[in-house]
Amino acid sequence: MRTIRNQLASVNPIALIFYGLIVWFIVAFLIYPNVNIYYEIFFKDGKFSLDAAEKLLSSERAMRSLYNSFILAVSLVFTVNIIGVVLVLISEYFDIKGAKILRLGYFTTLIYSGVVLVSGYKFVYGENGFMTKLLAGLFPSFDPTWFHGYWAVLFVMTFACTSNHVLFLSNAIRKIDFQTVEAARNMGASTFYILWRVVLPVLKPTMFALTILIFLTGLAATSAPLILGGKEFQTITPMILTFSKSVSSRDLAALLALVLGLATLVLLTIMVRFERKGNFMSVSKVKSELVKQKINNKLGNIAAHILAYFLFLIYIIPVVLIIIFSFTDAHSISTATLDFSSFTLNNYLFVFSTMSAFKPYLVSIAYAAAASVAVVALTLVASRILHKFKNKWTLALEYALLIPWMLPSTLIAIGLIVTFNMPRLVIGNAVLVGTVWMLFLAYVIVHIPFTLRMVKASFFSLDSNLEDAAKNLGAKPFYTFMKVLLPIILPSTLAVLALNFNSILADYDLTVFLYHPLYQPLGIVIKNSTDAQALADTKAVTLVYSVVLMIMSGLTLYFVYGRKSRS
Amino acid sequence: MITFHDIQIKFGHFHAIKNLNLHIKEGEFFTFLGPSGCGKTTILRSLVGFIAPAGGQIMLNGKDITHVPIEKREISMVFQSYALFPTMNVYENIAFGMRVKKASKAEIDREVRDIAQKVDLKEEQLFKKVSELSGGQQQRVAIARALVLKPSILALDEPLSNLDAKLRVQLRNELKNLQKKFGITTIYVTHDQEEALTLSDRIAVFNNGIIEQVGTPQEVYNQSKTEFVCNFIGDINKIDPLTIMNSQLKESIDPNKIAYIRNEKVSLLPLPGKEAVQLRGTIVDQEFYGLYSKYVLEIEGGGLLKTIEKETGFSRYKVGDKIGIFIHPGDILQY
Amino acid sequence: MNMKKSVISALILILCLVVTACGNSNGGNAGQSTAGSNGSGATDQATSEPKATEPVKNEKLIVYTNANSDGRGEWLIEKAKSAGFEIELVGAGGADLTNRLIAEKNNPIADVVFGLNNMLYENLKKEEVLIQYTPKWAGEVEAGLNDPEGYYHGLVKQAILIGYNPDTFTVETAPKDWTDLYKNEAFKGKYEAPTLLGQNTPRLIVAGILTRHLDPNGDLGVSEEGWNEIKQLYDNGVGAVEGEDFYANLASGKTPIGPVVSGTLGKKEEQYKVKAGIVSPEIGVPMIVEHAAIIKGTKKQETAERFVEWMGTAEVQGEFAAQFNAMPANTKAAEQANEAVKQLYSTLKAQALDWGLIANNIDQWVEKIELQIMQ
Repeated sequence: MRTIRNQLASVNPIALIFYGLIVWFIVAFLIYPNVNIYYEIFFKDGKFSLDAAEKLLSSERAMRSLYNSFILAVSLVFTVNIIGVVLVLISEYFDIKGAKILRLGYFTTLIYSGVVLVSGYKFVYGENGFMTKLLAGLFPSFDPTWFHGYWAVLFVMTFACTSNHVLFLSNAIRKIDFQTVEAARNMGASTFYILWRVVLPVLKPTMFALTILIFLTGLAATSAPLILGGKEFQTITPMILTFSKSVSSRDLAALLALVLGLATLVLLTIMVRFERKGNFMSVSKVKSELVKQKINNKLGNIAAHILAYFLFLIYIIPVVLIIIFSFTDAHSISTATLDFSSFTLNNYLFVFSTMSAFKPYLVSIAYAAAASVAVVALTLVASRILHKFKNKWTLALEYALLIPWMLPSTLIAIGLIVTFNMPRLVIGNAVLVGTVWMLFLAYVIVHIPFTLRMVKASFFSLDSNLEDAAKNLGAKPFYTFMKVLLPIILPSTLAVLALNFNSILADYDLTVFLYHPLYQPLGIVIKNSTDAQALADTKAVTLVYSVVLMIMSGLTLYFVYGRKSRS
Repeated sequence: MITFHDIQIKFGHFHAIKNLNLHIKEGEFFTFLGPSGCGKTTILRSLVGFIAPAGGQIMLNGKDITHVPIEKREISMVFQSYALFPTMNVYENIAFGMRVKKASKAEIDREVRDIAQKVDLKEEQLFKKVSELSGGQQQRVAIARALVLKPSILALDEPLSNLDAKLRVQLRNELKNLQKKFGITTIYVTHDQEEALTLSDRIAVFNNGIIEQVGTPQEVYNQSKTEFVCNFIGDINKIDPLTIMNSQLKESIDPNKIAYIRNEKVSLLPLPGKEAVQLRGTIVDQEFYGLYSKYVLEIEGGGLLKTIEKETGFSRYKVGDKIGIFIHPGDILQY
Repeated sequence: MNMKKSVISALILILCLVVTACGNSNGGNAGQSTAGSNGSGATDQATSEPKATEPVKNEKLIVYTNANSDGRGEWLIEKAKSAGFEIELVGAGGADLTNRLIAEKNNPIADVVFGLNNMLYENLKKEEVLIQYTPKWAGEVEAGLNDPEGYYHGLVKQAILIGYNPDTFTVETAPKDWTDLYKNEAFKGKYEAPTLLGQNTPRLIVAGILTRHLDPNGDLGVSEEGWNEIKQLYDNGVGAVEGEDFYANLASGKTPIGPVVSGTLGKKEEQYKVKAGIVSPEIGVPMIVEHAAIIKGTKKQETAERFVEWMGTAEVQGEFAAQFNAMPANTKAAEQANEAVKQLYSTLKAQALDWGLIANNIDQWVEKIELQIMQ
């Protein structure tokens, strides 16, 4: 206790206020509502019940789905890391002709996801897909329904989940001291040997940080298994979603989410240990910039180029097809046939005429901007605390911030509603339900764990001498933070910001529970006009909205990211 | 041993090295000296093989190595940043090159420990992370890593530039001792003239991609071939033409040409030999350095000259003194 | 640094735009309702009471609905406006809206909810979200559709039918009932099983079969035979795929038989260029009726009542039906429906379903199917 008091005495009052705010936020919005929903679910009639566990254990389908989810998550950890590293090497490390264009292709996963992404792949590999038709043409006995099950899901998700790699691993590879590469070459190491022994070890900490995210993505896989998994490869998250929406089955959803969350925590703990062991500080005082490596072996060079462009095609074709098909109709889309006569602008006219002005766009952009800035600010402060102090309180802080991984977003939303629909002392007796704040808070809450992971990682790669140097030069902590530390971690932080922004833009699952009636976000508008009951050409309209969102996401990334890499 | 023959190096439109010709002998400690951006590192990197020259040849022991791949040249390089692999410990760093060459485990272990001992790295330091070592120890790891491959040539790119003054002097001595101990041909790149003078057998002074002078430290210092060299190395007086015109110096020195004289060659005591010229002047400034003092003298007839006097413990001169000044015209450099 | 600056200025610009947008809408409803101004005061009203307390004539109503797509929402807002009502529509999926209404019940935002089906209204009723209110037009609604207890009353009828590809099957070879699908070998692997149980249509199909085998002693009130049949339904069918439109599979012949919703038939025919054959089982079809109801705890009950009164009249419903190809529940309005629609419904008979019982059990049924019956 005394040490804490000493620490408290040594920090300045503004910092103290910050700490107080963080603690308040965590208690009020992370612990209180989520514990509350767990309580409501598991102690509904005043006593604890294990029915949910029994029901799940006796269900063969639930157990198999759970098993499949884990299989998928573990497989993805390997495949995504491999593909992710290959992409980064192609676009950042090796001298590949046209790397700039290639990189654009590899970045496409950043602008679309979910059902749309999977349907994009179906245009290529699905029953009527172009690749399937080609293969069927070559081999008459080819089964056109080949693209389903574990391998199909794994294939699509492997390529779909490299977004974080192309962002964060690229940052990491740029931090390599190029002289170490030259030194290794000087000592006679081959290109491959240098990769394996010099370059990859430097990327390892980032890969560990990303691995936990891949694992989580694998566990939470929804669209790909639903669309491509078929009967033989079902995963657990669709079931969680269904259950979380019916009052009497919520206990099952919460329990399953808890299992996934705990698995994630276990992996996280292991990874943190690995990370600590594998952590290193760069010893180079002056780093020389990475120069792209020519592959001297002619065959190797050709192979690398072929691989690079092959991957590019895998990435770019689905996007292109989505854009093309957004100009056609439901018939063309469902049969994946392109006929010049079916091209039309009507879908776009429909979307922009029923859009009753631009308000939903503005609302979504405002929410996305406000929430993604807020969550980054919050996690920056939290990471700073985690970076500065190391004791059981900071450990508690870290795990508290990971709570949102323990619940599906639907239940987080419901937790917020049932907790804050009456005056609560913890928020000054205000009623939050029915205010615009609910949705904002929810967006912040669900994005905390991911943001914390990434921001914290970049914080811990900072040279501690920098802070001391700034302090030594008389800078106050806040000034040091703003002028010295922040600029260094800004690239990663902005990347996280952009990712959060894009994922909030079209969110539906969380939004639908919390949005304010007068401020309809885009996700709701899209769902309404593409709902199964809707009469319009819902398939085409979905694609049109996807294209609109791609453009918005693309612009976001360009503003945050693209211009920097150009300058 | 090494011969650069008409080497040309271009970066796009920038002509970094223009027609370089140079010969380095076996076992020599040879220094490339020059201000930053003069092309000295560029030529080193072309020797090691990181840069392919646009024209000319590099010969090693009579063989043309201009287009031989880096790893086949048997030239080890120590980088400015040391380029130690941050993810490996000291032992792994030193063993790296041998592992690349697929040496046996036992051989690697023997050689690594042997070289570590030679560069004074202690056993317990071998398994530390490189980030836990001091600057001097890191340098020794970098050198050990280069030497363990038994290269025929060691190339060092400003390895001392990041260190503090005292450590620099200490490491300089270590470096010199190591080179003597191994007798290995060493090419050393620096912008620090003191380093160059103390370490080298011979020095090449670079400026703007051109070699201004090649010679022993003494030659380069005392008989600087160009105005650039004499200005770049050591402290020097530019002699005011008035000083020459209004003194005996005009008999042996052309007052229309630029004339320099090293500070220490301006004497306050009479010099032997009949060519010595006496001037008269007044001390206008004095700086005390401990080992010596530096005086600024205003010469009768015009011009200022600087000189140094070894401090013997009691100060013989003070500002305002009128004294005699002695110069050997042979020490004057003219361009 | 440049980049940082531009990001910040972009954010500021966005915030400005939004503040302006909010300002506009705020100005638009100035004085209409505090619920509105509470929301629009995005920055300063978090602590204020979210609801207005003084009843004023024709305050702005917050209306929840799942039936506002395809211009229906815009049409209703316009119509209501000319009738003197100002409404704000909140659209979302039926199940999501129901959950939201239940979650909000201690502090309701909505005044009126319409468009949901019986099952969801029964849930709302059970959770005490609705108030009893019987509008004058209740008597004009087709018998058996309204809530007998008077919580909700019918507006529009939708029938869940079996559709089939006319090239694959003929009227003779097509299935006669849902039970035919799994009892007749000919249809094995040829029909879509209702696997997406998060949606309403599949739930109603399941309910339509299970309610034929009610047995108080059976598991969850259904006899073993009933569960067996459901199991066969799933075992012999093809799973529905998220994101696919069933009609596309019907049209291509990939899965030629499956559920279709009457209200969408016309448009789908147009989009996929195939006119599905329709089966109307002897026992009747599960009829989804979109209802209207008033939320308990609304501060604008009087206005809400007048709005519901207006909305359900034969005049409004008739006009709506003509415009949107719908089938009104209001018998007087039914005459104004389009010919094709009238003709379709003339052959259909509503399956007698105990909505209260279904609402009470459907969640557990779905849970059992998800966990134990589906593969």
